Amino acid sequence: MFTIEFGDNGEILCSGRLDAAQCARAEEFLASVDGSSTLDFARLEYISSAGLGILLKTQKRLVENGAGLRIINVNNHIHDVFRYSGFHSIFEIEAG
Amino acid sequence: MQKTFPRSIDALGDIYAFSEQIMADGGIGDVVRFPVHLAMEELFTNMVKYCPDNANDIQLEIDTRDGGVAVTLVDVDVDEFDVTAERGVDTSMPLDGRVPGGLGLHLVQQMVDSLEYEYHDRQSTVRFTKESG
Repeated sequence: MFTIEFGDNGEILCSGRLDAAQCARAEEFLASVDGSSTLDFARLEYISSAGLGILLKTQKRLVENGAGLRIINVNNHIHDVFRYSGFHSIFEIEAG
Repeated sequence: MQKTFPRSIDALGDIYAFSEQIMADGGIGDVVRFPVHLAMEELFTNMVKYCPDNANDIQLEIDTRDGGVAVTLVDVDVDEFDVTAERGVDTSMPLDGRVPGGLGLHLVQQMVDSLEYEYHDRQSTVRFTKESG
């Protein structure tokens, strides 16, 4: 189960498991984002390379327009995935 | 425990439920479960992606022991694809040089403790282990 929605303060709240079967939902949602945004991963338990691809695609599009994604409340496991992927140099990431 | 799954990304939910139950029953901690789930997903989706027209199911076997997990995936009537080969991923590449994709097997190689590949009679067998602590 994976959900993605705007929170009360405009952050994008992700929860559950972002695997290859769920990434279409994330891709559709993030395609509608057109300015700098914060992704709150406090309730995101899992991400695989399919989810990383969506984040990367979104970041490239936003940065080309002078914006970007900030990712907060990242759990230790997802932090490891980001580290092995070199995402710390291309995203602003804050641990949970 | 062994089970076969249809060659479809939609099978990932059932694979997660199957493997999560076995690891819970085996007392496997979250530190091991996360990379095991990730490696299973990446290897399974790789098999689906590169042989979409193959009608055969994919076999998954999971064993737990001493806090660790051993997983075997078997795919029949397929071409050879060595998942242990160096992927040549440059994780220091700046954003403008990056393209989505290609990180899956790199992550598997980084996050499991052993990874083996065998190919004979058009059958691919992938084994990996993740030990506790």
